[in-house]
Amino acid sequence: MERFTELVVAAVLLAGLYATMAYGLGIIYGVLRIVNLNHGGVIMAGAYLGWVMHERLGIDPYLSIPIVMVFSFLLGILVYRVLVRHLPRGAAGGVQSLLLLFGVWLVLRNVAYLLFTGNDQTIRTEYSTRSIVAFGLALSVNRVAVFVIAVLMLIALHLFLTRTFTGKAIRAVAQNADSCTLVGVDVERIYALTFAIGTALAGLAGLLGAMLFSFNPSYGSSDLLKSFVIVVLGGLGSVVGTAAASLILALVEVFAILALPAYLTGAVGFVLLVLVLVIRPGGLFGQRVLG
Amino acid sequence: MDPTTPRIIAAAAFALFAGVAGAPAHAQGGGSQGTIRIGATLPLTGAEARIGGFYKEGYDYAFELQNKKGGVKVGDKTMKVELLLLDDTSTQATAVNLADRLINSEKVNFLLGTYATNLVEAQSAAAEQNQMLYVNGGGAASAIYKRGYKWVFGLLAPVELLAESMMKWIDEQQKAGKLPKPSKIALLWENTSHGKDFRRGVSDFAKKSGGGYDVVVDESFELNGKDFSALLGKVKAANVDMFLADAHLPDYITMHRQYVTSGMCQKVLSYGARGSEKQAAEALGKKNVEYILSAVWWSPLLAHKNKMAGEFVDGFKKKYGHEPEWYQALGYETARALFTAIEQAASLDKDKVRAKLVAMKIPSILPGGELTFPSEFGQQSHAPFVVQQNQPDGSAPIIAPAESATGKGVAPNPNCAK
Repeated sequence: MERFTELVVAAVLLAGLYATMAYGLGIIYGVLRIVNLNHGGVIMAGAYLGWVMHERLGIDPYLSIPIVMVFSFLLGILVYRVLVRHLPRGAAGGVQSLLLLFGVWLVLRNVAYLLFTGNDQTIRTEYSTRSIVAFGLALSVNRVAVFVIAVLMLIALHLFLTRTFTGKAIRAVAQNADSCTLVGVDVERIYALTFAIGTALAGLAGLLGAMLFSFNPSYGSSDLLKSFVIVVLGGLGSVVGTAAASLILALVEVFAILALPAYLTGAVGFVLLVLVLVIRPGGLFGQRVLG
Repeated sequence: MDPTTPRIIAAAAFALFAGVAGAPAHAQGGGSQGTIRIGATLPLTGAEARIGGFYKEGYDYAFELQNKKGGVKVGDKTMKVELLLLDDTSTQATAVNLADRLINSEKVNFLLGTYATNLVEAQSAAAEQNQMLYVNGGGAASAIYKRGYKWVFGLLAPVELLAESMMKWIDEQQKAGKLPKPSKIALLWENTSHGKDFRRGVSDFAKKSGGGYDVVVDESFELNGKDFSALLGKVKAANVDMFLADAHLPDYITMHRQYVTSGMCQKVLSYGARGSEKQAAEALGKKNVEYILSAVWWSPLLAHKNKMAGEFVDGFKKKYGHEPEWYQALGYETARALFTAIEQAASLDKDKVRAKLVAMKIPSILPGGELTFPSEFGQQSHAPFVVQQNQPDGSAPIIAPAESATGKGVAPNPNCAK
């Protein structure tokens, strides 16, 4: 029973981070119909920004969350204004956006190599290896904190999308951009805002991940792949769908250790992805329009 | 879901997996008559850039030193040596393509190898196909040398030997009554040929021990893993005496951080070749890396026991202002082995130089003080490893083998009693 509890708790804690990683990708695709391949690059940039704040300026990584999010938000605005808005929307722009954003990711990665070299870095604080006891288990303070922040962020996002005028406008644009233009919604502004919010969430995910793992300029690749799996499982829709899909992926990965060699557990998520695409192409929770 | 979504996601995933070559390759030096042109690639950018840089320091130092002596004596001529170094960007395809370019376009006389087992494994095949003499100090997996290749020589002893060296020290402690008999082992290994060799080394030792060791957890994990909590939970549930893992630096840091926070403590703890790195102590905290055992191919502490190693350490420190690690030492020794073979052959004829490498038995900076490329092991050096253990004062003395030891090891881990 203790082993079961241990695995469930490990999965739940992991799911929080997965959800933060994935929602940035999901919201951008949901509204702009663009797969943001630069998501991995921003995750990496968020990790390095948090590290620089901590190492050079002595700012606690959790206190640097607003700075990292604002920086990522502005980076998102910049990438959107300079590059993404020139792309055709919908399926026509699919391949172009993939190439463009993949290129941006490569630029970010190589800039990181130039600035920080390929050395693995870690954010070490005095509580990095501290743990608390809950459910009879020793839980890493960092993992719990990352989970709590991830959940709070998703709740805030859900409330923003469902309770505010701008959030409702984002959902409306996701449903029908042309109609929104007719009723006076500034669709371009909504696109830029959505791209920036998605990018800010990627930056946050990078910082939270850096609290737990070591990283280097290639950091973010596997996170992007997992985000794809979650976005498809969750059905490109609600915050709740993303959270549920993150939990499912984390549970499957963690519990797979009971039946499979540990090195195969990472692949289980991709098997799940294929199954869902075949059986329920709309995702486990069907198509919903954000919120 | 939009019907185009799966296609777009599939294309995105393809783009991710396809990868691209990183920074353009750059070359150093050029060619001239009376010069021996030696080609090499190293991962100067990409995931292995840091260690690639270390190997470059070793190569550069060896070439500089040799040219300061006038060059390499080839019969009655003394020829300068020139390194044509390219950046393989830490990717297999680039390492192979650049080796091909060095051999067929640049027409180098010999090749020195790159770093990391996967790159050496791929690149050495290209060298063999072109019948180009290939001496490397960066590929340890025995699989590289079990292919019956004629032109490939390796200075890194196999990882099985690393595991065996460590197990020998552990066995001495068990025989001295400091560790339980049988001892339960959790064996965790990265899913690479490096990890598989480590697993084989520990498993074979345990089997031959006549009941001294019982491997109760035997699990592999993917490189650059994120979450090891389920795996560590399995180890915890098995209540083992020894935690023996084989991991690269990022996984060591991530896994050990989770190990520490889970409250585990084993009588013997190791991450294979990792453990004594300053970077890990900074990332994990000095206290948390105490008593970790590691076995490495070389240590600057050998300078106390080996005059040649002492001269290398002093000269290297003078040039670079910092102490060499095993990476630089292996880079240096790889180049020196090739220079020595050329001098012994008194010719640039590759068959003659190869024959001298096959028969090589020279004093070395490596543990054991001698360098050979035994044919029975596919021309892979079997120089012994040095076993180190992190101490509370931050030092990591060599604790085995006895002839190289600079300090005494401790078992069981005293921190577990606290």
